[in-house]
Order: sequence, then structure tokens, then C-alpha cells
Amino acid sequence: MESNGSPELQKSSKKRKGTSSQNPKSSVLKQKSPAEFFAENKNIAGFDNPGKSLYTTVRELVENSLDSAESISELPWIEITIEEISKTKFNAMIGLIDRERVDEELYDDFETVKAREKRLAKEARDQEIQAKNIAHGKKIKETSKSTKSRGDASFFRVTCKDNGKGMPHEDIPNMFGRVLSGTKYGLKQTRGKFGLGAKMALIWSKMSTGLPIEILSSMRGQNYVSFCRLDIDIHRNIPHVHIHEKRENKEEWHGAEIQVIIEGNWTTYRSKILHYMRQMAVITPYAQFLFKLISDMADKNVTIHFARRTDVMPPVPVETKHHPSAVDLLLIKRLIAETSKQNLLQFLQHEFVNIRKSYAERLIGEMGSDFSPKMAVKSLSSQQVVRIHQLFRQAKFADPSGDCLSPAGEYNLRLGIIKELHPDMVATYAGSPQVFEGHPFLIEAGVSLGGKDVKQGLNIFRFANRIPLLFEQGADVVTRTAAKINWSCYKINQSQDKIGVFVSIVSTKIPFKGTGKEYIGADINEIVSAVKTSIQQCCIQLKTKIVKKLQARERLERKRNLTRYIPDASRAIYGVMKEIAKSRDSKQRQYNEKEEEILNKVSCREITEPIIKEKLTHYVEQVDYEMALEYAAQSGVSEEPREDIYISALEGAPKFLDLHHPVCVFRLFL
Amino acid sequence: MADRKRKRPVKADSDSEEASSSKGALAFKKRLKPDEQILNSITELRAAQKEKPQSLSLSDLNLGIACREVVDLESTSVRLAIEHTILSIAASILAGNGFSYQVPSRNNSNQLYVPELDRIVLKDKSSSRQFVNLSTVRKATITTRILQLVHQLSIKQIHVTKRDLFYTDVKLFQDQSQSDSILDDVSCMLGCTRSSLNVVASEKGVVVGRLIFSDNGDRIDCTRMGVGGKAIPPNIDRVSDMESDAHFILLVEKDAAFMRLAEDRFYNRFPCVIVTAKGQPDVATRLFLKKMKVELKLPVLALVDSDPYGLKILSVYMCGSKNMSYDSSNLTTPDIKWLGIRPTDLDKYKIPEQCRLPMTEQDVKTGKDLLEEEFVKKNPGWVEELGIMVKSRQKAEIQALSSFGFQYLSEVYLPLKIQQKDWL
Repeated sequence: MESNGSPELQKSSKKRKGTSSQNPKSSVLKQKSPAEFFAENKNIAGFDNPGKSLYTTVRELVENSLDSAESISELPWIEITIEEISKTKFNAMIGLIDRERVDEELYDDFETVKAREKRLAKEARDQEIQAKNIAHGKKIKETSKSTKSRGDASFFRVTCKDNGKGMPHEDIPNMFGRVLSGTKYGLKQTRGKFGLGAKMALIWSKMSTGLPIEILSSMRGQNYVSFCRLDIDIHRNIPHVHIHEKRENKEEWHGAEIQVIIEGNWTTYRSKILHYMRQMAVITPYAQFLFKLISDMADKNVTIHFARRTDVMPPVPVETKHHPSAVDLLLIKRLIAETSKQNLLQFLQHEFVNIRKSYAERLIGEMGSDFSPKMAVKSLSSQQVVRIHQLFRQAKFADPSGDCLSPAGEYNLRLGIIKELHPDMVATYAGSPQVFEGHPFLIEAGVSLGGKDVKQGLNIFRFANRIPLLFEQGADVVTRTAAKINWSCYKINQSQDKIGVFVSIVSTKIPFKGTGKEYIGADINEIVSAVKTSIQQCCIQLKTKIVKKLQARERLERKRNLTRYIPDASRAIYGVMKEIAKSRDSKQRQYNEKEEEILNKVSCREITEPIIKEKLTHYVEQVDYEMALEYAAQSGVSEEPREDIYISALEGAPKFLDLHHPVCVFRLFL
Repeated sequence: MADRKRKRPVKADSDSEEASSSKGALAFKKRLKPDEQILNSITELRAAQKEKPQSLSLSDLNLGIACREVVDLESTSVRLAIEHTILSIAASILAGNGFSYQVPSRNNSNQLYVPELDRIVLKDKSSSRQFVNLSTVRKATITTRILQLVHQLSIKQIHVTKRDLFYTDVKLFQDQSQSDSILDDVSCMLGCTRSSLNVVASEKGVVVGRLIFSDNGDRIDCTRMGVGGKAIPPNIDRVSDMESDAHFILLVEKDAAFMRLAEDRFYNRFPCVIVTAKGQPDVATRLFLKKMKVELKLPVLALVDSDPYGLKILSVYMCGSKNMSYDSSNLTTPDIKWLGIRPTDLDKYKIPEQCRLPMTEQDVKTGKDLLEEEFVKKNPGWVEELGIMVKSRQKAEIQALSSFGFQYLSEVYLPLKIQQKDWL
């Protein structure tokens, strides 16, 4: 897709060449707008190929919507629709007439005579096999998938509608048409970071389809809906507005609806997108998602509703100040430029966390004689700033508190797991805040056993700042750590059991590895040990449950297992006795009276194999009964703690009927 | 002690005389005296060993702890013992009490090394094997079944292999290791040796050299057994009338070295009997070695790899294995001399670096564990050698000597070692 952007680029560079340099061979100093940079390096933002672009578009839109709804403490309600657009339809949309191919051999997918013969032969063979299978009554798999040729791009209209904050009418063009402008800068835990998401989708749509983005937005209490159709001027990194108007708001709706038409690939990224939605539903059980795929073929359509399971929302993450040990030189300079504080003492005290007044005075004293508490902070020389930076690196500061973090919450994580996986057992654990390079982080973990759509072995679910991570799983800290845990210690069979491992990391700065924010390296000891403890804590909880379950099962199966061996044992015993009875020499007194008595009974068939069997069976039953009584007496009638159930609130004021009783009142909603 | 004094000057010469290893190999060969003189050193050892008093038995010692030992029993006694056991459990079942066996425990905590006897013995702790217990029901059933099978063998007076026994009821036994382990339990429980149960293991050990004996009535001359040697009969009862003009018995850890010695007819140059069990020794080989040692009164020299496992194998011949400790009196051959390859030999014989292997973590751990074992500790020479091995973290196999030529082992190394009485 690089080629799409390049003709324009060449044009612009030619223009510059003409003015700046006479020599075409010498290298030309070019400048790039941020939008241009990202258009050329779209893999940084997760737009590697059409399939992944579709995935990333969905993901960015959903995350924006969640942020938007959470920022006004509204339970999120998000509707995602992906509509497949056929080429004919697409051409009609952009006003291009469908042309029939005239010169067939011109095209890449042209089939030569030889290739056609080969294909026909193969199809005939396949049909034969299928016919045979039918004759044998075997189930046939749908193999006849229409394989799309390479030139056939598929286009998708992605629509995301939410009930969030919406956007101010005037800001809409800038919010979408300017890369690296955003509301999420600053030091706090956020899902997005670069202010790229929706803009990258727009750049991608411009690169692949050339169609503009459409935005509908309304804020709370606004009596109108803003409608905006715009695209982006990549070279100048400014929005290019087609329509920007106010429309009537009939439903008192607030939120945003964003529609973008892009090239994509549903077949290859289907499972990734669905996994993403499912994992998102796990980590945000308080949100409601409606996911729809609409295509021309009815059997391809997908509609999934991820229901809300709780109305407890994590608090909105608060913006925090920088920790002295996490700042760099540039950041100190920026803070100095931006601060409203006059002198150095106030600056240190108010622009950083964990520096109290007395501590700030000590720090200034340590900086040297050319520093004083009352000196104007803006007058600091660059050498002096370096000195401050060095001191920050060396001095000891209390760890930042985790107050600014907004974890999903152990309760929510648990609900999410139960809601989406229906596991047999689940345990969750929330760690306490810890620090890595001056940034607080907090780890929550869950371990589940069994459930639907879970494969045998380890199933890793990773979340960073409450977004699922799906790619680069092998190198991730969670995968590596989970693989190292000795599961058999906790009576869990790593290869047989369906183990779900859920780890959510929240931080003001997640230490992602690589350019795509896809995984966290396993080389950060603080995080590795925190992840390990959290998973182990879950396992310890599970172990007691598993042991209890095993005991109960053992109790149930004891009788069966014991009874299974009765025939073998009694046959062997009787076999020996019969042999003795047959071969004994009555003259030699080799056996005592009791033994003789038994042998005599064996001889006259008073003791037979069935009798021994019966006696053993009887004894087993008796012992089993006694042990069962003992077990019941020991364990009592205690049961597992019950899970709370969540019944979603009814909307509006429905009709109801009260059934009165001296003890209570039943309200029956009609 | 005399050996050690002798060792020093040898080391000193070797340092001064030889520069390169190939030259060294030749120089070692030059140092060999005529064969008669070499054999003299063995004769001295033999004479010294004969003077030693007969080994003690467990009953001679007044140990504070009760120990369990088994004896060879006649088929009839075995039969009767089984019959009494079965009849008593039958009585218990008929009385409505189920049944259980008292089985001597063979695990680690029940083993005891007796320095006076220089072997491991079994203490008398036992555990109850109940039918109505989920953890023991399987074993109790298998025990009953094995008792029945052994009973049949004792009536018919025939021998079967452990594999045969396993195949009589594969469905119940599931795995040969299970029936094998229960078989040991049964012999322990009945107080007889495993051979008395008429169950034998398949042939593993091989013998070649100056030995003539009767195998089930057939006269076998082990000098006419070709290069492969005579398989040691799994049932020691078949072996009788041993005769030999050998001066010593050479115990070899590995098949490859055994074959080298057999092909070179080492036993003709130096009259001896060569035995190998091809790795960990089985019961038959240990019984055979014991029988040879007792009847022929020959000194035993051992040639094992210079690694912890070589020493471990040596210890099994000498002190017995933990698994079979109940029968250690019949299975162990005390007073085996460690001839080679010892860690000190690596430098003394200038074995080149490329033939030495680095020890793995596991090797080093095994070596360190061995240093803690009583049977190693009582022999200061062994402790020293093992210490060197663990410290240098190098091991070498017998085959490392082949770097000086394939026949170096039989033509130079062994004769020289014997000439110098370089054993521990």
C-alpha cells in the first residue's frame, strides 16, 4: 500500500527540488509531517496489512468509546458494526463504473489452459472423494470455499457507536484530522497513548479507499447532533472538512458514532477480532457490546451480544504528577517552562510526587551553593537543570503510590471470567501497587479451570491498562512466567486441564517492548516476580478447592475402585486353596486345625469362589459406609461460597404488582 | 599404604621422562616387566586375602536394631509358606474382616549400612497392605495374584522369568515394573531369596576366561566360548563344580571393554576370569561373582568408568543395592579392588583432553552424594579419588584409553596397573 502514498510524495518533493536545489543527484533535505510519517510507517500503529488494519481499526474505535463513556462515569454501551462491501458496490460508491475485463491475459489471476485443466482435474477428484464420503455416510466439511484472487480487495464499513461523552462541535475536525493531537497526554493510566487510533484509521481509509470519515456526535444536554465528514491532508497534517453541520437530536442521545470505510480482510482476522471482543468483555464486564458483521452472504453474518454483568465501574484514573526518579532532562525543562510556581522550592514541592517541603529543602541544600529555595525557577541555567536531574537519579524517594491507578478490580475480573468462560473453578488475586522506574504498576490475576471455548493446557489472557493484548504472545512476560510455574504443585495438570490464566497490568507507563504495543518483555524482574506471585496466589486458592473436589470424588469412587479388584483377589485366593485341598497329603500334618477345617470346607465345596467374593464385597461396603459417615462428620455441611448474581436494572418505570405477605413483599414486574 | 608410597616415584618419573602423549604411551609399555613378575603381584594379593578371617554374618554382630535377612528355601518350604499365608487371609475374609498383608518396607528409610559387614541390610520396619484402602488395594491384589503364581511354580518345580510372570496376567499387572516390585516384596515377606521363588531374570551377565563349571549338568569351559563369552545362567542353582586355574577375577563395567579383553585373549596371557554385567549388575551376575569368589577364593579387580556411576556400580557389587538389601548377604562380594579407571589415572596416564568429558550438574551432584555414603567414607583412597573427580569436573570412560591404540587397554594399561599393584 506504500505505493498509494508515493505519487503524491514524489510530486511534492519535485516541487521542492525545483526551488531548493539545481543538482538532482544531491540528497534533498525533506521534511515530513507526522501524518506522513505514520502513513509510511503504519506498522508502528498496527496497520501492517489489510487484515490487521481492520482489527486495529475496530480496536481503536472500541477503546476510544470505552474511554469516552468512562470519563463521564456512564456504563458503556458500544455497538460495533462491520459491513462488507463488494467491489461493485464500492465502485458505485465512489462513482467508478465497473469495467469488464477485455484483455484477460493482462491480469495476474489469468488462468492459462494448462492451469485450468489441472484445476478441473482436481475438482473432479475432490467431487469423487466427496461422493464416496457421502456414500459412506460421513460428514462432509465445506471445502468449496471460493478462493479470492489477490487483486480482489474487500472493503468494509466499520461503524462504532457509543454512549460516551461526545465531542464539542468545534473540536471535531482537529480531533480527527490532526495526528499527534489528543486529550490523552499527561501522566495517567490510559488505554491509548499517542492520540493515534482514530486518526490512523482515517489515514488508512484514505490510503486504501480514499473515502472520508463520518462522525456523528452529541454531548450531554446538547439539543443538536454534530455531523462531520472529513478527511486528512496528510502532507500538512491538517483536517480537510467536507461537511460540518448541526443536526436535530431527536433521541436525547449523547456519545459518538464514527464510520470509516477501509480495506480489510475478515477471513484471516476473524478469530483475532472475535477474541479481542471476548477478552474485552472479560476485562470490562460493566460494558455492553453488540458486535455485528454484515455481508452479502447470509451465512457469514455474525451477531454477538456481550451482556453487561455488573454496574460497578473502576474509578476514572486520575492524572498524577511525575515521580522524581522517572523524569528525564527534557521533561524537567518542559515542566519548568509550564509551571506556574515561582521559586524552586515550590516547583519541587508541587510538580513532583513524594517531595514534601522539608525534603525539597534538603534537596536544594544538597544541590550546592548556587541553588537557593527562593531562586526563580525559570532562571535556572541548563547546567543547573542537569544538576537537578542527577540528584533526582541518585537521591532516595518514597515509591509512588498506586492511587492514580485504576485497575479493573478483582471483583470485575472475576465476573468477567465467569461471564465469558463459564469455568468450573476460578480464583482471582489483586496485588498491591509496585514500582518500576518510578512508575507505579499493579497486577491482578485470575486462574480458571475448565469452561467453554477453552483449549487444553495453558490459555493466556493478557491485559495492559485494561486492553487485551493478542499478538506476540510467546515473548510476553505472562506467557513466560505461566510456563515456568510448577502447576502440578497445585494439583493442576498442565497438559490435560483447561487452564485459563488472566493477568491484567495497569500502570501510568506500561513498559511495552517493540514498536507495536503488543507485549511486555520478560526481562523486568519487578514485573516478572509480581506476575508470578499473583498467579501463584490464585493457584493456592484453587488448590484447596481442587483438593476438596478430589476428596469428594475419591469418596464417591472408593467403593467402585475397591470392588473392581474383588474378582482378581478372590479368584487367586480360591485358586490356591483349591490347589492345596487337591494335593494335600493327609498323613503329613502340615496344617493346623483351623487351616484343616477351611481346607475340608473347600474340598466339600462349602467354600467357593463366589462365597469369598461375597464376603469381600460385604466388607468393602461396610467399610465404605463407615468412611462416608466419617467424611460427612469431618467436613460438615459447609459448602462453597456462593456467587452473587447480578440482575440488570430495568429501564423506565415498568408496571408491577405487589404481593403482600406478613413477612415480606414480592414485587412482580409485568 | 604400600601402594601409595609406590605411586609417588612413578608419578615423578612420568613427569620427567615423557613430553608428548604418544611417546608417553610407548614409554609406559617399556616399563612393563615380564608377565611372570606381573603375576607375582597378584599372587601376593591372593595370599594376603587368604589370611583374612572369614566374613562375619549378621547374627555374629550384636546390632541394637533388628534386621531382616532372607535365606534360600526349598520349594516345599516356599509352598508351605504361601499356603499358610493364603489360608490365614482366607480365614480373615471368611470371618468378615477383609484381609491385609504385613509387607516389609523396602524404602530408603528402612535401609542400614553396616560397616562391620560392609553391606547394606534391611531393617525390620513393615507396613500393612490392606485390601480396603484405596492406596493399597491394587498392591494387595497383585500380591495375592503373585502368591498364587509362585505357588503353582513351587508345586510344578519349574523356573520362569520375570517377563513370563508378567505376561500371565498383563491386564492386572499393567506394567512389568509393578509385578517385579511386588515379586521382591513377596520374597521379602516370605523370608526367602528371589531365586527360591523360582522366578529369574533374563540373562544379562557374561563370563569368559579360565573357568570351568557345570550348567545344569553340562560342562562349560569358558576359554572356549569365543569372543562373546558364556551367558551367566539366570538361575544360580544350575551352576556347580567350579574349577579354575585363574589368578584373579576381572570385573568389567562395560560390554565394549569386555569384548576387547576377550578378543585379545587377555585371560591367556594373565590367567583370569573376566565378568561383565553390561552396566548395572543383575541378581544373577552378582550371585555368580559371589559364588566364584567364595569357591575359588580369587581376588576381584574392577575396571569401571571414571565417573560417579562407575563407582556406584562397584558399590552395588560390594555392598548391595537398596532395592535388594534384604538379600545382601547372598548378593554382595566384599573386598573388590578398584583397579581403574580412577580419576588420578587421567593425568598419570596422560589421557588427552579430547577424551575427557566435562561432568554435568547431575554427575557432580551424584558424585557429591556418593562422598556422603558410608561405604565410600570408610575407604580413604576412594574418598580421595572421588574428591579429585568432583573437583576437576572431568570424567572418562574406559574407551578413553583407545586413544593410544585399541589394544592399549589389554597390552599396556592393565598389565602395568597390576604390576604396580595400583588398586584401592
